[in-house]
Amino acid sequence: MPALIYDPAYGRYSFGDDHPFSPLRVAMVLDLLWELGHRLEPVAPVPATRQDLLAIHDEYYVRRVEELSAGKPVRDAQSYGLDTPDTPAFEGMDEAGRWLVGGTLLGARLIREGKEKRVLQLGGGLHHARRNFASGFCVYNDVALAVHSLIRRGLWVAYLDIDVHHGDGVQQILYDDKRAMTISLHESGQYLFPGTGDVHELGSGVGRGLKLNVPLEPLTEGDSYLEVLEKVVPPALEHFKPAVLVVQAGADAHYDDQLADLMLTTRDYEQIFRRILGWADAFTGGRVLFTLGGGYSLSATPRVWTLLALLVHGLPVPEQLPETWRRRWGRVLGDRPPTAFHDPSPLRADIPNRAEIRHRNLQVADRLLQGARPYWF
Amino acid sequence: MLVRDIMRSPAVAVSPDTTLQDAYRVMREQRFRHLPVVDGERLVGVVTDRDLRLATSALAAVPFPPGSRVAEVMSRDPLTADAADPVEDAARTMRERKIGCLPIVEDGRVVGIITGIDLLDALIRMTGIDKPAGRLEVRLPDHPGELARLMTFLAGRGLNVHSILTYPEGSESSRTVLRVASIETRQLAQELRKDGFEVLWPPEKPCPR
Ligand SMILES: [Zn+2]
Repeated sequence: MPALIYDPAYGRYSFGDDHPFSPLRVAMVLDLLWELGHRLEPVAPVPATRQDLLAIHDEYYVRRVEELSAGKPVRDAQSYGLDTPDTPAFEGMDEAGRWLVGGTLLGARLIREGKEKRVLQLGGGLHHARRNFASGFCVYNDVALAVHSLIRRGLWVAYLDIDVHHGDGVQQILYDDKRAMTISLHESGQYLFPGTGDVHELGSGVGRGLKLNVPLEPLTEGDSYLEVLEKVVPPALEHFKPAVLVVQAGADAHYDDQLADLMLTTRDYEQIFRRILGWADAFTGGRVLFTLGGGYSLSATPRVWTLLALLVHGLPVPEQLPETWRRRWGRVLGDRPPTAFHDPSPLRADIPNRAEIRHRNLQVADRLLQGARPYWF
Repeated sequence: MLVRDIMRSPAVAVSPDTTLQDAYRVMREQRFRHLPVVDGERLVGVVTDRDLRLATSALAAVPFPPGSRVAEVMSRDPLTADAADPVEDAARTMRERKIGCLPIVEDGRVVGIITGIDLLDALIRMTGIDKPAGRLEVRLPDHPGELARLMTFLAGRGLNVHSILTYPEGSESSRTVLRVASIETRQLAQELRKDGFEVLWPPEKPCPR
């Protein structure tokens, strides 16, 4: 049985009503699963401890988060990326962050102990957080902590990041580690925050050749995305032979996302998720831990993550969205609320240089493999 | 950013009587390609790995033997720079004179050296590219106060600017490249456009029909 991990306390990780990182997204996923008639019983985690965090984060950083969390002023907060327009401080942020980390760590533990193979943590994926620096809505790096909890017990991990932003925090924390491979597909840093994730960032020391980046052109569509995904991921996993696959399943590469410029549809996401589950079966004995991540369209993101939950559980993908769900969330679904579960197909977006985009993405994938392969033998 | 902020100091130097073989060994051991040649304290030349290889090449009409003196193959009276020069001046000199390094001289003494690679490091540092940020490119009319208007806009949103580069573009406008501590660069670009700014980067995203 696959496991779903969730606790209502996840909703406390919120930067305010106008902030894009909205807890509504997961509430909408749970409600949609319910309305579709699936009574999935989530497993509840406990919050991570301070000690858990210190496996990766610096004590002086955690201390500052705790102080802000308690409503105390921290004079140099901004030097640590805290209390900024992107990542504002809020009361209880330390505990809220530890809840999300606790969930991802529980997912890693269930897999490590052989209790589960497929786990979906309905939160987390805070891949921008550094050891001592908050960035891009991320305070504590739950995914890096989960990867760390596996590798220090001898389970080598391949981390796949399909969020539209580069998984810079995870990559940086594991940059010289030979026990973890990271693969990030993202919109090119030339166009998008955080600016890193070039093909030449291959890792350092004994970790060299194990940090892989596929920076994609703006307006990349599903066909091209899947093409490079298939070109890069299977040979990388074939080489690395990980014990566990950890996937940051951000949904912000969707065409309706306002923070970025990729053009994936829910149908593309279905293909991506099916591929990933297949690769887990082929390369890691089915052991795969999914987390959420970015995804800022309230119309698209809940459908993408519900789709993920359905596929992880081997449940069918519905044609239509339940009327009750549409009515309940009508106020946040936008001017043209979707009626079907999937996006209209084909998308018919006006993309003038489609062929060139595809060509460039293929070239980038080639350049990446050329750069990494010499370290694989 | 001044030359002293990026120069390698102290510079490893050799004397005019050093043999080609020894100079080559110094380069290999220290992983340098450029060596100032000093006579006592006085700078008399620069010798590069290329000078050594060309001088000793089997393809040369009369190859120098490895025991020859550096003084025989070095470039004499090299251009130098001052530690207090702005790095862009040093870059322009190196570009215009097509040279790969500049010894830095103070009171007639060599105190450091900069090479093309050091200038690339300077470019990387100047653009703040090592911090997580979003990149914006804005075309501004070449009038007083335009840049201030842009900065006021960003300050009004509490945004930290990691770096800002402005350069002239034709005679009527200038282009400003900023790295801003914001994941919401796209919204920011839209708001800037609404406020009348010409945002060149990130480009606009077409709507699916
Ligand atoms: Zn993202």
